Amino acid sequence: MTVRIRSRRRVRPAPLLLELLLVAVGLVMIAPLVWLVVQSLTAEEAAFELPPTWIPKPFTTDNFAAVPDAIPFGRMALNSLQVAVIATVGSLLVSVLAAYAFSRLTFRGRDGIFLVLLSALMIPAQMTVIPVFVLMRNLGLIDSLPALWLPALINVFSIFFFRQYFNTIPRELDEAARIDGAGHLWILFRIIVPLSGPALAAMAILTFQAVWNNYLGPLIFLSTPENMTLPVGLVTLQASHGGSPVVVFAAITAVVVPVLALFLVFQRSFVASIAQAGLRG
Amino acid sequence: MTLTKVRPERAAAPRPAGRGGGRFRRGEWVGYAFLSPALLLFLAFVAGPFAVAIVLAFFSWDMLTPAEFNGVGNFTEMFSDPLLYEALANTFVFALASVLTHLGGGLLLAMGVNRMMRRALSYFVRTTLFFPFVISWAAVALLWKYVLDPTFGLVTHYAGEIGVEPPEWFTDPAWALPAIIAIDFWHTIGFTFVIMLAGLQTVPRELHEAARVDGARPHQVFWRVTLPMMSPTIFFAAVVTFIGAFQIFDPVQIITPDGGPENSTITIVMYLYQKGFQSFQIGYAAAVSILVFVIMMAVTLLQFWGSRKWVHQQ
Repeated sequence: MTVRIRSRRRVRPAPLLLELLLVAVGLVMIAPLVWLVVQSLTAEEAAFELPPTWIPKPFTTDNFAAVPDAIPFGRMALNSLQVAVIATVGSLLVSVLAAYAFSRLTFRGRDGIFLVLLSALMIPAQMTVIPVFVLMRNLGLIDSLPALWLPALINVFSIFFFRQYFNTIPRELDEAARIDGAGHLWILFRIIVPLSGPALAAMAILTFQAVWNNYLGPLIFLSTPENMTLPVGLVTLQASHGGSPVVVFAAITAVVVPVLALFLVFQRSFVASIAQAGLRG
Repeated sequence: MTLTKVRPERAAAPRPAGRGGGRFRRGEWVGYAFLSPALLLFLAFVAGPFAVAIVLAFFSWDMLTPAEFNGVGNFTEMFSDPLLYEALANTFVFALASVLTHLGGGLLLAMGVNRMMRRALSYFVRTTLFFPFVISWAAVALLWKYVLDPTFGLVTHYAGEIGVEPPEWFTDPAWALPAIIAIDFWHTIGFTFVIMLAGLQTVPRELHEAARVDGARPHQVFWRVTLPMMSPTIFFAAVVTFIGAFQIFDPVQIITPDGGPENSTITIVMYLYQKGFQSFQIGYAAAVSILVFVIMMAVTLLQFWGSRKWVHQQ
């Protein structure tokens, strides 16, 4: 048997009592989510009983079947997916090109432009939302999905994030390719991007999650239910369907569980990217 | 902060001989080409709207009739509206409570989890703490409306079990905002926790050991070693949490669409939303947005200025 030395441990191990306390905190944290899923699977007449039931009895999936009757759920899910995918792919592309310019190319005003972009991180979204609304109205894009993904294509934080990452990739690699006659696009997409997997994954997850969960945007830019995305769809369902909370719970579950599953799969890069953002500060 | 540091090398400095001038000029063209999508989008959706918002703030406009120059009218009207002050007060209370509970709770949880030895248990706690942060505010707000429901809510029931009668959260003006503070804690604590955990793992273990060898008691190690070494992380968390909290909108609008009992939950962004998108006072709302910007700028600068006094420089 080999002795494993835990070099990462900083302090004495936790006593059992502390571990139990932390596990209890964890249980309290997920209790509302478990309750949500259980109620959504319980027949309406038995749901929301006191004391709370933690096993769906009688078990039913009727609540989920009732959701599409109340709101165009499938349509909204497709809208959400479309906006999130376009915004994620598009903003990664735009950011990677800009970050390459800031990291590898020399041109007049480069550092000045970079500083201007960075200072824009201080502008709150609420300040630009009104003029952007006016712009969308003039472009005839109100109540359409481009009104949601177009503004999401510019993500200053991700430009900054990629630039920092690209700066850690040895310049010798792309300079060698340049001597061999490779163009900048080739260097970016054949050398730099393949070496930036973790950074790309992290930004992709963060962007997708932010766009998928966006509430204020659809609330302002969209109006017809068929064009709506899921977050506002949930709220309208709750408002119009107040009599039957189990159907609301089924809809919330249908929105929340896939996101949680996705998070479990990508947990490492997601948490790491947030921790990294914190350490960079 | 690395944020403001632009690497000086390779800046506009002339390239060493051997690279022809023609090649350099071609490089310049490529640079702007790579930047152009980002710059166009930036002008259209960030810089342009920012400038337009400043101009709009001096007009009165309902989007139907032509805009009329109004001078500082929006600002004088805004500052004489008692609702604005209620919204500002609520926002500051929320942001302050949010920063304090997040920093305290996040640090304690991170220190606890950092000491956990059983991997499976530690994984469980880390995952469950972070779970709510992944969920959209819309889902969280709706769920908690039911969790805190006075007749069939979870909290109501379990509080009753231990002999506490909880208030009617969203109809009691004294409790509506605290309820939203609690929901925000549940939703966002995982974020602060992860940052704190990452920060803790950068504290050199030799420091702890040295302090203990010197006979320091646990609370002394905490105040003299852990906290100073954690100060850059705590500072970052404070800035980010404050900025996020100051812009709180989703849960407030979803749970209390009319601003809560006696305006007890109306926040500054909700005030802006009501003026801009419900009563279509576009210029007025733009003026409010400038106020939000100025306050955020001022508080952030203040935090940076204050941080020089207590953030440990590495």
